[in-house]
Amino acid sequence: MILVVAENQDGRLRANTAELVVFAQRLGRDLGMPVVAVAAGVADFELLKAAKIERVVSFEISNLESYDFSLFIPALRSLIEQEKPAVVLTGHTTQGMDFMPRLAAALRVPLAAACVDYEKHGDRLVLTRQVFNGKMNLKTLPRGSGPFLATVVPGAFSADEMEAGGTPEVVKVSVDPGSTASGRKALGRTQAPKGQVDLTSAPVIVAGGRGLKQKENFNLISELADALGGAVGASRPVVDAEWLPREHQVGSSGQTVSPKLYFAIGISGAVQHLVGMQTSRCIVAINKDPEAPIFKVAHYGIVDDLFKVVPALTKLIRDLKG
Amino acid sequence: MASEADNYALEEALRLREKHGGETVVLSVGGEEAAKVLRAGLAMGADRAIQISRESVDIFDEMHTAEALAKAIEKDGGADLVLTGVQSDDLGTGVTGVMVAEFLRCPHVTVAIGVTAQPDAKTVEVSRELEGGIIEQVEATLPAVLTVQYGANQPRYASLKGIMAAKKKPYAVWSTDDIGLSQAEGLFDVKEIVLPERKSHVEILTGTPEEAVTHLVEKLRKEAKVL
Repeated sequence: MILVVAENQDGRLRANTAELVVFAQRLGRDLGMPVVAVAAGVADFELLKAAKIERVVSFEISNLESYDFSLFIPALRSLIEQEKPAVVLTGHTTQGMDFMPRLAAALRVPLAAACVDYEKHGDRLVLTRQVFNGKMNLKTLPRGSGPFLATVVPGAFSADEMEAGGTPEVVKVSVDPGSTASGRKALGRTQAPKGQVDLTSAPVIVAGGRGLKQKENFNLISELADALGGAVGASRPVVDAEWLPREHQVGSSGQTVSPKLYFAIGISGAVQHLVGMQTSRCIVAINKDPEAPIFKVAHYGIVDDLFKVVPALTKLIRDLKG
Repeated sequence: MASEADNYALEEALRLREKHGGETVVLSVGGEEAAKVLRAGLAMGADRAIQISRESVDIFDEMHTAEALAKAIEKDGGADLVLTGVQSDDLGTGVTGVMVAEFLRCPHVTVAIGVTAQPDAKTVEVSRELEGGIIEQVEATLPAVLTVQYGANQPRYASLKGIMAAKKKPYAVWSTDDIGLSQAEGLFDVKEIVLPERKSHVEILTGTPEEAVTHLVEKLRKEAKVL
């Protein structure tokens, strides 16, 4: 059996759920196994009820004030011990990476984190992991009799390919939070101040990275953004170095954006950045390094010195508009 | 600790020590590479170092490393707070710290950006980063394991005085036998490491910068229709 642990985002299924089901459905077909999904503390799991899978197990918890996956680890462990799935999948996200390593260590089974694909090698399963910041893929064969655990990188599978039209059985399991002593208590959440920058609604974003070399050079980015009427974005190192305030950051710990047009300039394309912008309609990458991972997601690229390309582009746009 | 993110973890540990007293120990698994990192940690201000000597560290098996770290912490008499970098520079998955917590049977908090300790209450209050710019406040009971995010603080540089002082600080080398780690087999066989396949084919525009941008703008207008 393939077990999918759907993530809970503020009481709803996270957007990557369908992608996880796609991975599980394919794997299930290849290995001749049914797919079972777990929804933990989620009231509305219609997406799973409509999926072509065998069963949905819903962990129910009363008085859930702030969500904490550690509450569900014991319930998940007993489900795994009882059902003995061959593979357990969840998202490679803060939530997935919060509980999967603990599960793996407790069960002493392999965990392939940052999984992007799989293949069969004889009668063994090969799990492909993203390593070295997404620059390389590592193909590993988990040992032992399982279960094999994997966290799946968002975007690695296409949600549109989920097979619907199923009528899975729904099993409810009530979880008593009092029975778990996680030693951890969520106190509350705040949204980091976005200030004046709302990248999520900007149709055009011009984002700069470490390739700009120093803070003063960021005016190349803002000038191009001005010429295009777009917003200024940044990769994490730029924000960490305090060249720009955090509200400009695009990526897993910043904002997730999907503009019409996204320029990645001097950004190598660490996976944390890619997950925040790879669904943009049109992506242009300008980078000196032809091997930079950003070119994997870009539609158009210029492999050259950004200090020459960007001023030329800004001038051209200004000329066209003026 | 061998990765950039670990500097933020050590800086956080040194600040907590400066505020609340106690001792900061740096711990790493490996050979000469690990020794270099530990010496740098001592120079930054850690009180002592423990190296778990293992020439061939299977970097593709985080559980091995996590178990070695946990066993060494137990042998050393335990720690109130274990801090690691949020992820390593190689695998970069952020697995090890959380596994250490499981082996130590204590709570963990990942992606910490701020730590306030209440030593009397035996708790820490941690702010952690979630996706989409959300900051979560979490209280954890000590002992606990925290993985510290990049940029959580401004790590200090080792001073010349610090480098000199580091040479006199206690430095223990333990073998895997010393910590009672069985030479168990790894949990993975590695098939190969490959360059990722391209999912979409990027169109590279060539020529001088002026030519390239002229082609680009034309493509954006006529083909992609986004300009």
